[in-house]
Parts: sequence; C-alpha cells; structure tokens
Amino acid sequence: MRLNEIPVEGIPYDQLKIEKIPCAPAYAERAPELVSAGSRTVVVNPNRTCMPLGAMWAVLGVHGAIPFVQGAQGCATYVRYTFCRVFKEPATIATASFHEDAAVFGGRRNLVEGLRNLVVRYHPEVIGVVTTCSSEIIGDDMVSFIKLARAQLRQEIGPEQADRIEIVLVNTPSFAGSHLEGYDRASRAFVENMATVRDKPNGKVNIIPGLLYPGDIREIKHLLRHMGVEGIVLFDISDPLDAPLRPPQKFPYEPPGGTPAEQIRDMANSLATFALLPHAGQAGARYLERKYGVRAVVGPPPVGVQGTDQFLRTLSAVTGQPVPESLLDERGRLIDSLADTFHHTMMKKVAVMGDPDVVLGVTRFALEMGLEPVALAGGTASKTFTRDMSVILKEAGFTGDPLLLNGGDLFEFEEYLKKLPRLDLIIGNSKAVDIAKELQVPLVRTGFPVYDRFGYQKRAVVGYRGGEILLTEIVNSILGYQYPDDRTHQL
Amino acid sequence: MPMVKMKCDESIPERDKHIYQTEADKSIIPSCNIATLPGDMTERGCAFAGARGVIGGPISDIIAMVHAPVGCAWYTWGTRRHLSDLYPWALPGRLANAAFNRRYCVVTDMQEKDVVFGGMKKLEKSCLEAIRLFPEAKGLIIFTTCTTGLIGDDVQAVARQIEQKTGLLTFTAESPGCSGVSQSKGHHDFNTQFYRQVHALRERRPELKMRGEEKTPYDVCLIGDYNMDWDLKVVKPLFEKIGVRIVAVFSGNERIENLVKMPDVRLNVVHCQRSAEYIAEMEQDGYAIPFIRCSLYGIHQTSKALRETAAFFGLQERAEQVIAEELARVEKSLAFYREKLQGKRVAIYVGGPRVWHWIKLMEELGMTVVAGACTFAHADDYAKINARAQAGMLVIDAPNEFEIEEMLLETKPDLFLTGLKEKYLGRKMGIPTVNSHSYEKGPYAGFAGMINFARDLYQGIYAPVWRFQWGINTVRGEENAVE
Ligand code: SF4
Repeated sequence: MRLNEIPVEGIPYDQLKIEKIPCAPAYAERAPELVSAGSRTVVVNPNRTCMPLGAMWAVLGVHGAIPFVQGAQGCATYVRYTFCRVFKEPATIATASFHEDAAVFGGRRNLVEGLRNLVVRYHPEVIGVVTTCSSEIIGDDMVSFIKLARAQLRQEIGPEQADRIEIVLVNTPSFAGSHLEGYDRASRAFVENMATVRDKPNGKVNIIPGLLYPGDIREIKHLLRHMGVEGIVLFDISDPLDAPLRPPQKFPYEPPGGTPAEQIRDMANSLATFALLPHAGQAGARYLERKYGVRAVVGPPPVGVQGTDQFLRTLSAVTGQPVPESLLDERGRLIDSLADTFHHTMMKKVAVMGDPDVVLGVTRFALEMGLEPVALAGGTASKTFTRDMSVILKEAGFTGDPLLLNGGDLFEFEEYLKKLPRLDLIIGNSKAVDIAKELQVPLVRTGFPVYDRFGYQKRAVVGYRGGEILLTEIVNSILGYQYPDDRTHQL
Repeated sequence: MPMVKMKCDESIPERDKHIYQTEADKSIIPSCNIATLPGDMTERGCAFAGARGVIGGPISDIIAMVHAPVGCAWYTWGTRRHLSDLYPWALPGRLANAAFNRRYCVVTDMQEKDVVFGGMKKLEKSCLEAIRLFPEAKGLIIFTTCTTGLIGDDVQAVARQIEQKTGLLTFTAESPGCSGVSQSKGHHDFNTQFYRQVHALRERRPELKMRGEEKTPYDVCLIGDYNMDWDLKVVKPLFEKIGVRIVAVFSGNERIENLVKMPDVRLNVVHCQRSAEYIAEMEQDGYAIPFIRCSLYGIHQTSKALRETAAFFGLQERAEQVIAEELARVEKSLAFYREKLQGKRVAIYVGGPRVWHWIKLMEELGMTVVAGACTFAHADDYAKINARAQAGMLVIDAPNEFEIEEMLLETKPDLFLTGLKEKYLGRKMGIPTVNSHSYEKGPYAGFAGMINFARDLYQGIYAPVWRFQWGINTVRGEENAVE
C-alpha cells in the first residue's frame, strides 16, 4: 500500500502496514521442563522490579521531600521514567551520579557534594537517601557520609537551617528484594527517624497505603472523613503524583501535597497504624507497635465488600466511631451493583497477576462476584501469600484448584494460561497486556504499573466506591468481549 | 557574552561552562561529555541504558540476556519504541502481540548470594536455558550492569562457552551503569565491543560472511537508525528506490546475521552520528569502507542524504526522480502546516544529535529553535549545532531539571520538544510538548514522516486545552494560546 498523497492527518497507524514475519515456521511449545520458574535459573518476564523504586515512591509522598539516589544515574533515571509513564506527572529525583571514580573510591564525595548541591538549589524539607546495588556492593558507609554532609551543610547554610532538613536513609540493595520491600523499608526508616516521641495522644490513625494510586488514597481519605476519623497518610502521593495544571508554577517545580513532616513526627501518638498492603508498609506499622505500643493493623487490602467491611469495622473498633449511614449507603450501592451483574460474572474464569497484596485483595473481590480464579500470580515471593490465599478461597467456599504462583515470573503464568481450556478475563497490570491480547481475553487493568492506558492511577479500586468502579470495568469488559451486540439491549 | 550564567546555577558555578548562546562566528564549544555534578537533578541515564536500551534493544532476533538484579532488565523491557517486524508465535496459528525484541525480558535476577559468590555459573545456566526456551533466537547478547560489573564476572568467558556448547552467535556488551558519564559511554562500548567481536567471529567462522555472488555493487549499511516508531518503513524504500541495497541497519529491526555482514558493504550511511559513528569509523579503518554522514529528518536533509548516497554510486538521476516524487506526495499537507506553524518558536531537549538534526526541519516549517539542550552530546555535536543554528540560540549541555525550567521560563517557546521525563514538567508550566524521544505518533523521518512530525507539532500548539489553563475567568483566543 502506498499513498499517492500524504494527507494532513499524516500516516495513521492503521495505514502503516507492517507485515509481521514469524520467527519460526510454526508454533512450537516452549520446552515444558523449563516452563515453571522453579525448574530454571533464568527469569523471563519478571512480575516485579527492584527495591529502590519502592523507596523513591515513598519519598515522593512526603511533603517537600526529594529522593536522593546513591548510585549510578540509571537507577534514578529509569525510575523517574517509570513514574512519568504511570502517573503522567513530573517526578523530581536526584542522583549521586556514580561514575568510575565512585566505583573505585566509594561514593562519599558523591553523597556529600550531591546533598549540598541539592539543598542549596532546591531547599527540600526532607531528603530520602535511597541506596542501590552499586553503593551497597562498594560498601558505602552511608551513616557517616550523611553525618559528614550535614556537617558541611551546617557550615555553608548555617546550623539552624541545616538541622531543619530531615535526612532519612533507606537501604535498598536491589538484589535483596523487590519494589515492595523498598517501600516497606522506607516506611520503617521514616517512622524510625521522625516519629521519635510519644507524648500526647492525637486520636488519629496512621495509614500506610503501600503502592496504591492517588485515586485510592483519595478514596481512603473519603472513608476516614465519613467515619469522622482524622488520619495521617504516610506516604501520601495523591497530590504530588496527580497535580493540577495551573500555571504559573513555582520555580523549581514543587508538587503540591504530600505528608507534612510534622504529621510523620506525630505518628507515634496515634491510636493505630493500618498497613493496607502488608508487603509494603507493615515494617513501619510493626515498628511503631513494638516501640510505642501503637496498634498495628496489617491488611487485609480494603478491596471489595469484605475487605472494606473489615477495614471499617477495625477502624470503628479502634476509634470508637460507628460506621455512618452514608458509608452503609455506599456499601449498599456496591451490593446493589453486585446483584445487578452476577449473571455476567458468575462462573467466568479469571486470572489475576501483580503484587501479592493486590492479587489477594482483587481475588477476594472477584470471588464475591462469583468469578472463578484459575491462576493467581503474586510477583514478589512472600511467606504469607499462599496461606492467605487459601484462607480467601476457603472463605468463599471455592472448590477449584487455581495455580498459585508465589514469586515466579510471568512466563510461567502465561504458559499456564495458554493451556487452560477456558479463560474469560485477566485482572492485572500493563505487563499482562501481551498475554491478554494473544489469548483474546480482556485485561482489566489495576495495580502497578499501568502505563498503556490513561487514567487508571486516578481511579480508586479500594473502598465500596472503588469496588463499584472495578466491578463496572470487569462487567463491561466481559460484555464487550463476549456478548454479541444484539444481546446487550437488555442486561 | 557567549557563555550564559543561569540564575538557578548561582550556587553551582561548575555548570556555567556548559551553557552558551550561539554566535555569528560559531566558535563556542561548551564543556561536554564530562562528569555530572552529583545532586544537580540531572536527566542523564546510565551507560547500560545506552548499550541495552539504544543499540542492543532494536536487534530483532537475539536474546538480550541482562546479567543483573531484576530492575535493570525490567526498566529496559519494551520501553523505547524501537519496533520490529519479527514476531514469535503465541499459539498455533497466532503470532504474539509484540515483536520478539520487546516481548520477552530475560534476566539472571542476581540475588544476594550471587553477589557474594559470583554470578558466572548463574549466567551460564541462564543462557543455556534461555536458548532452549527460545529456539527461534539467532543470537544472544549478554549485558552487564552495575552489580555484575562491580563483582567482576568474566562474562566473555561465559559467552565463549555458550557459543562452543550451542553454536549460537554469542556476544557481550559490557557497559555497567557506573562506567562513563552518561548513556553515551554505553553507545561507544557497544560499538567497539560489537565491532571487535564481529571481526573475530568472521575470522572464526568465515561462512558467516557474505558470499561473493550475494554481493552487489550497490550494497550499503545504514548506521545509527533504531527504527523509532517505524521510521525505517519510510526511510528504507527511499534508498531502495534510488537503486541501492540496504544490507543491514545498525541496529533498527535488524537480524543478527545481517549485522555480521556489515563489513561486506561498499558504503556506510550514518544517521545517528553520536551513538554509532564509532563503528563506521572502525569499519573505515579496518575494512576500508567509506562512510557518509546524513540526516534523514526534514525535506532538505533527506534529499541531501539521498543525493549524496546516489552520487557515490552514480545514481544521481534516479535520486532526483525519487525526490521529485516524494515532494509531490507531501507538498499540499506541508503547505498547510507551514502556514500554521510559521513564526512559532520551539525549544528542543534531546539526547544528543537531534537538536541539530531538527534545526533545519523546523526552519522548513517556518519555525525557529530558540533553545536546545542535549543530555550526552560531545564537541562534534555542538559544532554541528553551531553550524546550523541562528545566532542567539540558548544551548545547554547535560541540563538538569532546574535549568530546563529556567530555559523554558526565559525563552518562552510556543512548543517544547522533549523526552518523556521532562514533557510533564513542560506541561505543568503550560507549555505544550511533543515527545521527541519515542515520538508521539511516528514515523517522523523522511518525507512522509515529516507530515506526521508537523502534525504532532501542530497538535501541540493548537490543542484547545491551552486556552483554558489560565483560570476560570480567562479563556483565551487562539492567537495567544501560549503566553
Ligand atoms: S543498576 Fe546500574 S546498570 Fe542497572 S539501571 Fe542502575 S545504573 Fe543502570
């Protein structure tokens, strides 16, 4: 096909005909003995990324905070790139810019000069120093480097100003855990460094949301508001990573919102800490419990009916506030929606992939819709995933035998799905898009990362209202994919 | 005052030598390709990104084995839009949704114990398994990153073993993130290492060379084109129509077997002269293959590239014919955009050479480049910018985020061409942006691509949204859509 004249609209994608050439003459099964991740060394299509990302995510949720990545430039740049792709927002992250000299002599100069350069131009209130595989392998003595940096800052900008800056160190050697662990470590590092006094009970609850999106955090705040409960959300990315376009901006760009430092300092005075997604946040919650007796409520994810019920019941028990009519109405609307849609969802086969807590929360909700899970892939290996999942399946009275992947990779997941006699739906993040398209089933996007569609980070899946949003998407995907048009005039 | 002092750099005067204004005598070259200032909020990436993301990634039929913890591989999985037409099978009778080079992310997933005890065993096992899992792959490249570079795994030894055991063409690209000062080091590393390895391979296995009877007198290699958003779909036919044969593209949508034949061509045509001129130079020295530099963006430069290539082979007449035909195809649409874009001012921030590639193109559309910034350019890139720019253009080497903001604030462009990370920053300032990295909706190269490019520039400037951004009481007319 060749256009004689290129129209003003240019060459639209559908006109740019690319002939796909097969790599091999015909389909051949992948070596069966290597399909399961447990039977091989190599990882193909990982269902997780590395630790520093989680820590940077956390730091961006603190007001006036900038992450400083002690390592080579890629570790910061790639993560910024990822955040930009997911949130469609700027992400200001500084790097120590390790070059060869740092690899040989260590990163002391990079940290000391780097923090100095960052402070004198950006005046951050909080700096989250995030380490990487390189600094950890080189063996940088970060605590003493930071002391040195602070001493130099005191000289340059005066002790008062220099001491006002919170510098929180988060050790995140990438080879020792996934992005969830990075966030988890950050949760502990921030409370350990900043929430150091328990003096006056504040009557508030702490919420550590984990890697939930701005829309989710807004929904949690909505629930708290209706409960009449004041909360401290650590790390509140809802405004920093979903900021309005309202020029003129401040220079340099400073995103709005984030958890104020004084709120973090007050966290030891709270009634309880809710770590909504246990793998990313329970370390902070448990620390506060051990050290100050602040009750830790770890999970379950407040997704779907029972997940949200449980969250509100516990919140009510902790604060003494009853669940108000307004939220019971929201619950009623979700129940109403479930009643209106179960004919479309029941007995449909679903596969769920993503971070373990997301998979747990979503699967529980899927079971409430009558969906039947066939494969459940939690990307970060966890001590609790398999146990928690069997509890959920049992509670739903589900007798099927879905594949449970605790860790593993997406190659194993997809090869398993290919062999299934039937699959109706995948729920998961953008990393599942190829497999969904190839199996010709809809992908309902949720969890981290979603970058190939617009707007998912702005919508909630938590709470009753978030449940309605997710349910709507699931039902409409099924209708759109599987129902002939002339069957949808009456649903 | 040729060198420019930015307000945001008052406390880091080291940055002054990187920033200048072009002058009539065109003689200023800023400090460039030197260490980044820690903590300056640089936009630079790592050497591994240059090797794996830019040059290795587009090769269509190799397993890209990232020897690293999972992150380095995850971040380079299907991100850059270097597309390919070679697809694995998903199911019987159904091809995959993404081409082979973007469908699979293959990594050794280094763990703490591997860091302590070394990762060579793990790498070897991983390679052997991957080769069994992906029998369609025609080669394998092992990429090292910070972790495996620092612990000093001898990946070349592993590569030799793999090739011996399996016969598969196996290469290494050792370019850990903490080497060099930017992505540029990774380009360079890949070029030199690949050249040497191909050279040795051809000695070892001469049957991989192009046979005499396969050669034609019109064989060229297009170097430094990565098939961004299918640029090659518009570029390759142009060369073919003038009568030359493109034996290999380094490395957009290219098969490894053809890359091994690179030394068999008569001429190298070098598009990206930052990331890939090295290999052209080495081939000139090693195989006496001459090269010409070109730009395939814009009408004027693309025509020039075709003319110069044609001249080398004595095919001028056909080149003129092709150019005339192509011009006729785009004339009308181009006229529309010229009228709409006339007088608009743009700022460009890219990796390196696209600033100079695009100055002429913008001029062809009646626009002026008021500011340009490059992440990893070298002195020759700045010389090329100077040769093409009008006097008075602000140029920043290795800009940091703050400088980019000040650049936008000071030069007030109508449009900002920039990569993904910075485009959201521009937008928050109310300045329209166009993704100059992977494009908005490409291809942008060649004649036909120029219309796509112009369309995206136009859409940037004329999007209705910009009229509403100034608040509830001030919806502005089109003429001052951008303040
Ligand atoms: S660990 Fe090194 S190679 Fe990997 S992304 Fe970070 S800087 Fe780049």
